[in-house]
Amino acid sequence: MPIFDQGYQHWSGELTGHTWRWLAITRHGVRIGMKNRLLRLAMMLAWLPALFLAFSLCVWGLLEQKSDLVKPLLGMLSFLGPEILDNPKNYRVEIWTLCYEYFLLTELRFSMIVILLVGPSLISQDLRFNAMPLYFSRPIRRIDYFIGKLGIIGYFLGLVLIVPSLVAYLLGMLFSLDLSIIPDTFPLLLACIGYGLLMTLSAGLLILALSSLSRSSRYVGLFWLGIWFVTSIVGSVLEGVNREQRMHDAYRKSYAMERSIQAGPMPKNPEEQRKRMVEQREAAQKLRAEIYRDELEGAQSDWRPMVSYTGNLARVGQHWLRSDASWQKIGQTVPADARDEFLLRSMGPRYPWYWSLLLLAILFGISVCILNFRVKSLDRLK
Amino acid sequence: MKDVATLESSHSASPGHRATGGFSWIALWTLYTLTFRQHMHGRRWIVMGVLFLLPPGLAVLIRATAPDAPSIVTEFLLAFLLIPQALLPLIALVYASGIIQDEQEDQTLTYLLIRPIPRWAIYVVKLLATLTTTVLLTTIFTVLMYAAIYLGSEASFNTIVRRCSIAIAIHGLAVVAYCCLFGLIGLYTKRALIAGILYTAVIEGLLANLPFGLRFVTIIYYARIGAYRSMDFIFTRNGRDHNVAAETWQIDVKKDPELLDHPQLLTCVIVLAGASLVFAVIGALMCARREFHVKTPEGS
Amino acid sequence: MHSELPREVAGSPEVKPVVEFHKVSKWYGNVIGVNKLSIRIPAGVTGLLGPNGAGKSTLLQLATGQLFPSQGSVRVLGQEVWNNTAMNRLIGLCPEQDAFYEWMTGWDFIYTCARLGGLPRADAKDAAARTLDAVGMFKHKDRSVRGYSKGMRQRTKLAQALVHDPEVLFLDEPFTGTDPVARRDLMEIIRKLGAEGKSVLVSSHVLHEVHTLTPNIILLNRGRLVAEGQVREIRDLIDKHPHHIVLVCDEYRKLAGRVLTWDDVEGVRVLNRDKGLMVETRSPDKFYSRLPQLSLEDGLSIKEVYSDDDNLEAVFKYLVNK
Repeated sequence: MPIFDQGYQHWSGELTGHTWRWLAITRHGVRIGMKNRLLRLAMMLAWLPALFLAFSLCVWGLLEQKSDLVKPLLGMLSFLGPEILDNPKNYRVEIWTLCYEYFLLTELRFSMIVILLVGPSLISQDLRFNAMPLYFSRPIRRIDYFIGKLGIIGYFLGLVLIVPSLVAYLLGMLFSLDLSIIPDTFPLLLACIGYGLLMTLSAGLLILALSSLSRSSRYVGLFWLGIWFVTSIVGSVLEGVNREQRMHDAYRKSYAMERSIQAGPMPKNPEEQRKRMVEQREAAQKLRAEIYRDELEGAQSDWRPMVSYTGNLARVGQHWLRSDASWQKIGQTVPADARDEFLLRSMGPRYPWYWSLLLLAILFGISVCILNFRVKSLDRLK
Repeated sequence: MKDVATLESSHSASPGHRATGGFSWIALWTLYTLTFRQHMHGRRWIVMGVLFLLPPGLAVLIRATAPDAPSIVTEFLLAFLLIPQALLPLIALVYASGIIQDEQEDQTLTYLLIRPIPRWAIYVVKLLATLTTTVLLTTIFTVLMYAAIYLGSEASFNTIVRRCSIAIAIHGLAVVAYCCLFGLIGLYTKRALIAGILYTAVIEGLLANLPFGLRFVTIIYYARIGAYRSMDFIFTRNGRDHNVAAETWQIDVKKDPELLDHPQLLTCVIVLAGASLVFAVIGALMCARREFHVKTPEGS
Repeated sequence: MHSELPREVAGSPEVKPVVEFHKVSKWYGNVIGVNKLSIRIPAGVTGLLGPNGAGKSTLLQLATGQLFPSQGSVRVLGQEVWNNTAMNRLIGLCPEQDAFYEWMTGWDFIYTCARLGGLPRADAKDAAARTLDAVGMFKHKDRSVRGYSKGMRQRTKLAQALVHDPEVLFLDEPFTGTDPVARRDLMEIIRKLGAEGKSVLVSSHVLHEVHTLTPNIILLNRGRLVAEGQVREIRDLIDKHPHHIVLVCDEYRKLAGRVLTWDDVEGVRVLNRDKGLMVETRSPDKFYSRLPQLSLEDGLSIKEVYSDDDNLEAVFKYLVNK
């Protein structure tokens, strides 16, 4: 009878290529991440906006079919105006776009929280416990390592951004019972997927770069918070001051206009008095319209929102969803004299979206440089 | 083998070395300076410094891009919005949440536990050193910020100094309270960062902005009222007065011009100082009774 | 002969122990670190042995007051150690973990530890210089700890344990990662400390070095005390395993026939390659006493006699693997 060696037996088969080696790192990271109760809770909460999105799209589908089920909700939707409610199909793309815009804006915040829970320890713990030799003593290249780690973030962001968008889209489509909805709204789905990929690449690489800078995941998390909160607050402060400056200019113009109209003594004739008051009112309206128009034009070159990191992500998403065009179309249903004010209040930042994309690309480049410098393969480890 | 009787006779106290009792001021002072050096070495304070250079940098930027914006508005936005709502909690989280946790994770806590320093004293002394660091950094950068806002402006030197001093006092009290709170949270949970963020975002961020009741449990409310009672935030534009603080913080000065519904300045100081003391005492008591698993840290 | 090893103290009850554990148990959640441990460690150098997870580090942490016993009491020099900061002046610990304030120099670290021990400035400087010199690190004192080798780090750790001149020293795996030269130097330091009257408890896996340091051992396994006392005494008490004695002789087969007639010999194995025999006996002293007569009477020239299990490793193997 043959006697078999019970000791270690070498693998005699073929090794797989490099294409999927990163997947082992991703799988392991996902498995560890899913054990985190806080992360699971955050992801459950992150699905709540998706429920609202799905609900909104379903309601719109029912509205298009003029279903009785949606009649109790018509009162709540009265803010949209009769023109939109009477022709829901004509405004389908615009309503879907704006629903997705609000969804993505909300999910942007949840994504930052998910990255905060998952990201800081990805590389910092490997550095802390000297796990780099464990990785690079195996036939794994640095790119496999980075893609593997990025895959972990991509997985969780995908669950928070892409999967809910897809599910909501399918539900909205089902409730619409109209095949023309697919060509009308498919770009939205593509925009969501693109946005998810953008977040993964940009925010994912950024958090990996930060994680490689410190052995303490706590400081990495704080740094991430700094980038998120502090840049947002700084952007708001700059916008606030800028707004003060513009208000100051507007008040100055208004004051000058009043002074010019009120130059001279008040007429005694009531007819003359009434005429002067009408003149004042018309001049004030004209000035207000001019101010709003200036604001709208000024917003196209206002760089201050770019200071906020999340603002840049939102701006690119806003462009890909084409929400500006949707707001413009909905603005046509608003009376002309209130239109500019409506657009000013409703539309987000209006500076060129490629400014944000460029800034994100620069951050991407910096992240890559940091990772290249901080994570060394075995032959270059100290 | 020598017996213990022989050993006991050889416990000859070197003078000043074998003092009876568990307290050594030398040891406490050494721990204080050690903690201060830990905070100041390395990249941490550089990163904090960059963060705190943000308000002076912003002040310069604002003066360059919006020269007509009133200085009081800039001061309010930077000194009483940006710093207390974002920067102070951040600096407190960085320094205070890891008072004991950092030592535990680095496995250097053993060297402190085996010294003749009571456990509660280890916590208190490290907390004091942390407060020194944070208050010092806050003071320096507040001064820089006020210089950036007011240098070359029409405000008198005395006014600038007075306003700056009040801001330093308010920031100092607030950061002390945050540090004591986050130090306690750091003892209680490993996830002090998440707990601190949730506290800052939900409690300080949301509750403090409510125009009723629950804002009394927030640190920032007392900092705001203290600031409001100590200085004015009124600027005049085109013949009309605007109170930027009242508008932003939803203080109804029309209905309640004397702010009778809000605490007095002394009350605000006492509440902040008292809360800090309570958090510190609780933390010291926790530290006195707790075991710290250094070789196999908890949760690993 | 008793089959159970005595669990209480070896040594005279009049002698006060330096370290005393009385029915101490410590558990971490559902995991038990030490289990009803009662030991009395006398003055001098004592080795603490056991496989991984035996409870050695738990014992040391209990003895230095870092952990509070779940049950029982721990006393060092007659006093409880938990939250007893005065005791920390008399205790020194060289911890197992390789952790330092890496940004400090060696001098800075030892000086700071001296000051943390309550020494005034001048005394701390003297103590730091003396201790660094004692461990052979004085010439490297101005280098950052980050740049030290493993052996240098172990010496520095030992220095911080010695700087305040404690009476009782606890050394947790002091030889880990050290090269033979560093190990020899550390052992010499420990021997000197023992000779100076300090009590030293050394925990280690390196059995033969502990054996050369001290014959007094405490053996733990799975949180329980397995044996305590001198190696030889413990060996004698291990009834299950008869002693193995090797005899080297040219006429080894004849010799085998001869020893088989002795009633205390339980077995003989022929070692063809070594031209010898391995004899199993439960009475090694009696066996040894007969050997010269064997040589005289039968003319059997025995070239070599040794026991290959009258050592710590054998004791360890027999007790831990049973």
